[in-house]
Amino acid sequence: MSKKECLAMLLAGGQGSRLGALTRKIAKPAVSFGGKYRIIDFSLSNCVNSGIDTVGVLTQYRPLMLNSYIGTGAPWDLDEAAGGVYVLPPYATQDGAEWYNGTADAVYKNLDFIESYDPEYVLIISGDHLYKMDYNLMLDFHKQSGAELTVSVIEVPPAEASRFGIITAAADGKIEKFTEKPARPDSNLASMGIYIFNWQVLKQALLADAQIAASEHDFGKNVIPMLLNEGKRLYAYAFSGYWKDVGTIESYYQTSMDLLREDSEFDIFSGGQRIFSNSNIYPPHYVGEKAVVENSVVCNGCTVLGEVRNSIISSEAYVGAGAKVENAILLPGAHVESGARVMRAIVGEGAVIEMNAYFGSLDEAEPVQVCGDGEHIKDDLWSRGY
Amino acid sequence: MSGRVLGLISCNYNNDAFGSLTSERGMAALPFGGRYRVLDFPLSNMVNSGIRTIGLITPYHYRAIMDHVGAGKEWSLNRKSGGMFILPGSIYGLKNMRSTFLLRDIIQNRAFLERGDEEYVIVSGSHKVYNMDLRPLIAAHRASGCDVTLLYKQTADAENHRETYLSLDGDRVKGFAAEAQGSAACFMDCFITSRELLLKFIEWYKALGYLDLMDIMAENLPNLNVGAYPFAGYLGRLNNIRDYMACSQDLLREEVRREVFSAEHKVCTKVQDNPPAKYGASPNVHNALVPTGCLIDGTVENSILFRGVHVGEGAVVKNCVIMQKTVVEPGAVLENVICDKYVTVSRGNKLFGTAAKPLVIPKGSEI
Repeated sequence: MSKKECLAMLLAGGQGSRLGALTRKIAKPAVSFGGKYRIIDFSLSNCVNSGIDTVGVLTQYRPLMLNSYIGTGAPWDLDEAAGGVYVLPPYATQDGAEWYNGTADAVYKNLDFIESYDPEYVLIISGDHLYKMDYNLMLDFHKQSGAELTVSVIEVPPAEASRFGIITAAADGKIEKFTEKPARPDSNLASMGIYIFNWQVLKQALLADAQIAASEHDFGKNVIPMLLNEGKRLYAYAFSGYWKDVGTIESYYQTSMDLLREDSEFDIFSGGQRIFSNSNIYPPHYVGEKAVVENSVVCNGCTVLGEVRNSIISSEAYVGAGAKVENAILLPGAHVESGARVMRAIVGEGAVIEMNAYFGSLDEAEPVQVCGDGEHIKDDLWSRGY
Repeated sequence: MSGRVLGLISCNYNNDAFGSLTSERGMAALPFGGRYRVLDFPLSNMVNSGIRTIGLITPYHYRAIMDHVGAGKEWSLNRKSGGMFILPGSIYGLKNMRSTFLLRDIIQNRAFLERGDEEYVIVSGSHKVYNMDLRPLIAAHRASGCDVTLLYKQTADAENHRETYLSLDGDRVKGFAAEAQGSAACFMDCFITSRELLLKFIEWYKALGYLDLMDIMAENLPNLNVGAYPFAGYLGRLNNIRDYMACSQDLLREEVRREVFSAEHKVCTKVQDNPPAKYGASPNVHNALVPTGCLIDGTVENSILFRGVHVGEGAVVKNCVIMQKTVVEPGAVLENVICDKYVTVSRGNKLFGTAAKPLVIPKGSEI
């Protein structure tokens, strides 16, 4: 196969267990976001918008939705004759079958795939982050600094730093220290889980890591500290802009609501890089005679007959007459029947809030309620708060 | 079953009644229904009925059509066997302005018909809006043994629409008329025949290429067995600007929307990957169709918006069709207006048409 300058490996096998009902049947990268997207659209679109036309997608947990969603890659223009998108699940060999045991192991098990393109550089990214980024700028930095590994970093509030891989770097970006989830962080530069490796360095590192029985085969915990100890040239590339790893229901909800804020840094509505998605072709949404739609995002295929405020209404969702949806997220195909109320809640794909039922609460002290995909919430006195 | 049927859609049709709306695009490429072009309807009908080899006879101004259909990806027509074939149409001049099936266009693309091994051909125009499973038509044609079967709809107000009407004797066609009164059988610019017979027509009439296939059929009516097949669903006829406005408004009715945008037989169209529509703090939107890419801060009533339309704060859009990427700036007022693409109506301007005579704003205008 033809040689590629830079190839991307996209980690999409994680469950995202803290997303609860949202990932009961689908992997985190396949979770719907922003009305018409799935989370993986952002990293796939970043690749394409950065001119990377060969992407290996590593899947493991509940891959059905991801497989069918990615398909041939055509929605992202990744149906390339020389390259394109490859879904790479774990596989069996003569020595038996094994799952991917850690992020580094997943890439290690696909060294053959990378080898077939013999790239100069390998970009490693996560399929469950929400951001817009031009990886070319990072690659330029990688080349100019003469790094063997570049880690993209972002400033995080000091209070949150202990949730991330924290990096201490010299003024020119050379990494001096890397600590995964430190108890007492001495810097607020967090690794975004985006790496550019020189291919040969990556290959040697993964071959070595695979031999270490005690290793968890994780890039952050094992591979990067190992390379740092070996005295390899590791650099930090400072990214500024919106970047979110939506780990929990609460952060998924907040990140979604950020889309509605006038001053939001995360702007998917105007110009710049387009986010592509594999959306079905639905007709425009219909807004009824008596409907009210305020400060909201509404997708194609929806019907809104009731009131919608500060909410995200995904493709093919339905809001019946007299229904009220406030500060809520309706995922694709969710139905809020007439007279029902949804407040500060997430209604799963194809879920139904039945006629006159109440779901959620406007009380900010309450956790955001989630109704799982396909579930029904019935009208009863309890749901109305009696 | 439908693997044995070839599709042929004539987009080489224009209608001077549409003024600037069709001056640089054929009727087939006329935007309709918020995100579609009229051609999407016959094309999707064929694809949804299992037809996978479709020829498109393009108009002389084929840029808009080609931009829209590309290689037929959205209709699953980018295929190894069969797929979409672009067939160049001729320049029709004024005389044949409203001719739908120019023989000349078919003669010119004879190879498309000759190469296939399909038994039947469905020939369709591209300026009527309906969503129909064509398989029952194919089955009825096969069962009847007719040479040709024409698709029609019994319509109530024939005097208001200039169309081809069929005089029927049971399910057999006895004649054609350009005008009719009251309830009449309106020809839907769609028929099925055998590939062999269509090739024979070409052979017999090749010296008379300026004829319309329908003229040939009328001339041979005594010698041909021409059947008719009724369609009971919604038919949108686009013969002039008033019709266009009326059909667009029909989409605001739930029963029409449910049928035309059927979940079972989806109308396919070019995908643009716009972000979802975004509504500002206090817009007033009632009885409207709004697609992706729109930013709505003002009032929209009884209107159809297209992708990427902006309606500014305090702007009013009533009984309008506003095409792609048009910007209605704050405070502007539009009533009974059809805005073509990329129009800017600047601050405070007021534009009024009437229901009977909507005002048309040409593409790219700045007002």
